[in-house]
Amino acid sequence: MTGREVAWRVLALELRASSEQEKGSGDRVPSYVVSPLGGRMNRVLVVGTLTPPEPAGGDGQSNFWRSRLTDPTGTLPVSAGNFQPRAQADLRRLTAPTPALVIGKANLFRGTTGGWVATVRAESVRPVDPAEYSTALAEAASQTLERLRLVARLRSPPSPSDAELTREGVPPAWVRGARASIARYAAWDPAPYREAVRAVVGSLGTPPSVLPTPGPAAPTPVPGTAPRPTVTVTHLAPPAPRPPPTGQVRALEGTLLDLLDGLAERSADGYADMDDLTELAVQHGIGTERMEELLNHLEESGAVEEPIVGKFRRTGEAASE
Amino acid sequence: MDASASAGAPAELRLKDLRPGLPNVLLLGRVVRVERRQVTRKADGSRRTVLSGLLSDGTATVRFTWWDPPAEGVDQGTVLRVANPMVREYRGHPELSFGWSTRLAPASEKELPDVPADSLPLRALGELAPGDEGFRFEARVRDVTSRTVTVGEEQRVVFSGHLADASGERPFTAWVDFRLAAGEALRVGGAYVRSFRGRSEVTLDERSHVERIAGDRLPAAAPRPTEPVPLGRVEGRGGEEDVPFSGIVVDLVSPSGVVHRCPNCQRVLSKGLCRLHGAVEGTADLRLRLVVDDGTGVATVNVGRALSERLLGRSLSDLVARLREQPDPAALEESLREQLVGRRLRVRGAARVDEFGVAVFPTEVEPVGPDPAAARRALERAVAETGG
Repeated sequence: MTGREVAWRVLALELRASSEQEKGSGDRVPSYVVSPLGGRMNRVLVVGTLTPPEPAGGDGQSNFWRSRLTDPTGTLPVSAGNFQPRAQADLRRLTAPTPALVIGKANLFRGTTGGWVATVRAESVRPVDPAEYSTALAEAASQTLERLRLVARLRSPPSPSDAELTREGVPPAWVRGARASIARYAAWDPAPYREAVRAVVGSLGTPPSVLPTPGPAAPTPVPGTAPRPTVTVTHLAPPAPRPPPTGQVRALEGTLLDLLDGLAERSADGYADMDDLTELAVQHGIGTERMEELLNHLEESGAVEEPIVGKFRRTGEAASE
Repeated sequence: MDASASAGAPAELRLKDLRPGLPNVLLLGRVVRVERRQVTRKADGSRRTVLSGLLSDGTATVRFTWWDPPAEGVDQGTVLRVANPMVREYRGHPELSFGWSTRLAPASEKELPDVPADSLPLRALGELAPGDEGFRFEARVRDVTSRTVTVGEEQRVVFSGHLADASGERPFTAWVDFRLAAGEALRVGGAYVRSFRGRSEVTLDERSHVERIAGDRLPAAAPRPTEPVPLGRVEGRGGEEDVPFSGIVVDLVSPSGVVHRCPNCQRVLSKGLCRLHGAVEGTADLRLRLVVDDGTGVATVNVGRALSERLLGRSLSDLVARLREQPDPAALEESLREQLVGRRLRVRGAARVDEFGVAVFPTEVEPVGPDPAAARRALERAVAETGG
């Protein structure tokens, strides 16, 4: 089906534990973050306490804003760039940590330490009252558990056919998700998710503004191994502002932008492909890690955008010079 | 193979009994779909022809791959006798592979297993999904009408209407005159389900058996469901005639709000132009296309004027007056989006499923508040069932 993507109800933990993705190539082919729990997520609906956004780049003129959403199972970055003007305006209206629903696209990026970082590119942000907060959170936990059961069942033979699952009323998107997840994660351990769901049950009586005390950040999963995330809530303090880029960094950014422009111009779809860009950057003496760092910074500063995972282009008004 | 052949009656297998890894399989089936492909062998880069398609015997439909097939191929509709195919499994379904050790021969229609209705599993109408076959059901004819259609060069009379049992209702089409009458209770075998115009339709043809029964336990019409149904279930079953569901509005599809319709054909005008009638003086109308999502599936809900007015708490004339003051339809749409996205709705109506997803034509749309106590009870129940 080429219809609209379902908004997966997920807890922060499940997105944070994801280390696999299906990248769409070509025009209008969606990308998915595949989770160990049977999520095959293009769009998600998450609920938690959202911090007021920080302008990425820290100059106040930024086109890219980033908040942090915390639920009882962890914290996720939530961002809105130029291509999400509505969500950006919604985020920028927040002046204090606020319980909210966020509907957006799930993405995975390589973090600076080499692990995968899940983010949500917001499409809509909606502050909610405590009743809606608890309801949406309980629903996300219930669906998490249902999907956990589906994956457990499909992992133990004899596996039922898609037709049998449809007959039972299992959603087709969930069946596709469970099969993709099983194909991509050799091993899994449902225990942390069960624990996460119990944490949600325990939190439900508590108003969302009263958050548990800060804990350590969740560990980064290593692809191919069973992720063992712990149920913690990371602290809500805003990240320290970045230092301004040095002259050398600016020169490298300039080179990278030139390479990106060249690729985008020659490509059929107007985007520079991540793999091609990596190859060119290496030829120009910019290492892979360095390139990703630069690209992240360019994206944050609003000069470059990645509307499709792995496909980059300049935004309308280039901000970096 | 020879041992079973000399035994006189070779043990023919029904497709529904096919299991991966079975040796010495002998079966009969009709080619219901076939296409020719070229594949490149990894080992030496050589090209090989394969035919792939679907084989059906009335109990099940199974995918097949035929390596190095005869040059003339095989026609759709051919009945084949297949000896010694390989049986593999893909995504929980058995699949057939015809290789060098497989023997294939054409067979006649009459040799296809006669599927006695009472050997088929009894299924509830509400559970049927497109692609299902090899089942029987008991249902009451709610209504039936006939019409003439042209198939190729032939004129045929088809009978269509609705069937109902305690689990739900399904539209049907019969390609044979079974002399169906409204109110009759039937036991039907050998029908199949296909998706037609977004509906999950039960199809009866020459190979179906229809038997009248007393049907004391069959209701006159399917009971109206009241509990919300997960959208993923509606999607999987290929649509419903009348289904309640609830979810969160995640988006509003443009153009929503005040639209102008062509006075001749009711189509929504784009920049004052009708696709069929060109520049016309449009009539103002209110409609909302809401994207409603419950986490298991997603539906586009096409809300007409009366329901939209009630949902928004504003009338069409109010909105038209506002547009006169501030002639910016995009701003109006944005304010409606602001009002609706993130809200919970309860919807009821007909659901159609096609390649673009689930489309709903509602008879009821109403905002509902969150119910944290119910959501918490459901979660605690799920936790208890999973064993913590």
